Amino acid sequence: MIPARRVKIFSNWFAIYMRYRMRKAFNQLMVMPFIPKEGHSILLLCNHFSWWDGLWGNYLAYWHLDRKLYIMMQEDHLKKRMLLNLFGGFSINRSSREMVKSLQYAANLLNDTENLVVVFPQGQLISNHTTEIVVEKGIERLIKNIKGPCQVVYSCALIDYFENLKPSVYFHLFDCGIAGEVSFDKLTERINTFHKQALKDQVNVEH
Amino acid sequence: MIYPQNNRLIYGFFQRYIPRIIRRNFKEVNFNSVEIDQNKSVLLLANHFSWWDAFLLYFVFAKLTGKKLHVMVLEDTMKKQWFFKYIGAFSVNKTPHGVINALNYAAQLLNDPQNLVLIFPQGKLCSNFVNEVQFEKGVMKIMDQAAGRFQLIYAAAFVENLQYEKPMANVYLSIPVNCTFENIEALTQSYQQHYNDARLLQTKIIL
Repeated sequence: MIPARRVKIFSNWFAIYMRYRMRKAFNQLMVMPFIPKEGHSILLLCNHFSWWDGLWGNYLAYWHLDRKLYIMMQEDHLKKRMLLNLFGGFSINRSSREMVKSLQYAANLLNDTENLVVVFPQGQLISNHTTEIVVEKGIERLIKNIKGPCQVVYSCALIDYFENLKPSVYFHLFDCGIAGEVSFDKLTERINTFHKQALKDQVNVEH
Repeated sequence: MIYPQNNRLIYGFFQRYIPRIIRRNFKEVNFNSVEIDQNKSVLLLANHFSWWDAFLLYFVFAKLTGKKLHVMVLEDTMKKQWFFKYIGAFSVNKTPHGVINALNYAAQLLNDPQNLVLIFPQGKLCSNFVNEVQFEKGVMKIMDQAAGRFQLIYAAAFVENLQYEKPMANVYLSIPVNCTFENIEALTQSYQQHYNDARLLQTKIIL
């Protein structure tokens, strides 16, 4: 497992640079109103459908949720882009026994209330139009290991065009409760309800 | 009402320019082939989620058939974009008289087997995530007037990023078995069936 070697100043530069890149590639990045709980770290569960997801996680952490970003990445992907290691990327290898280590590492990070860990519970790229989110078992273990106060947030990013030539991203954020207080089944159920809610809200979104 | 105008120079320019901007903004455009009857004109019904729809369908049908594309566009949009009339667009003014004029004109276009008329029966821009497609009833009038002289084709387009920075567009086409409908509800239902099938294929994309 490759732990994160996060350098604050580089991470900040990266967040600013990526915001510039996103503003160039997208018409707007619209974050639905959401206030994170104070004094809690955040476990940000995101839907995984594009190249941009991790970068969006960074965007949310830096500009909206005001936490230090750490992100769980597949080991082979991280090895190809070791620069991201400096911005908070740490690895997980789902086919090895070290997976438990990665989950424990993520849980430890979440003991610090200043941190935010981005995890893609689907574990693979799945269409943006999917109506069901399959949450991998590892999340249960991750949450169980968290000792400090941690808020679990589900972020559903959806892409729509409307009148513009460039796409817009709409982030629907939902509070899934405090780690340790919700069971895994309940969490999966909530994420799926929230995902359906996001799809419904998206149809009526202002444009 | 604004009618399409012929200008070989401008048309020739856009014939080359549209594929270029599509290649620049999309990673790829995927579509399935359908058998097009050369002795009939084509009435193409599609979902409307972005400014790109008409361009994407132009791109797809330029590859599938040599028919000339005409598209019904709102008058306000048409006034803002001076070149639309040179690439086969005609306007619809949403007053009772304006709508009838535009529908009659569309039906007239369908008399010529060399034409392809693209209509967005939703009548406005909707999200790419809509579950239920709602059609405005005008399209029935075109179908009644031009009955038997055209081939009906359904198109449903979805945008997806997956592992690429640029999005890719998937256009699903199908020809309904029966193309005479008693009322708009029957037509909507028939299109909805195609839309649902297309969406199901789209949501099955897993990498």
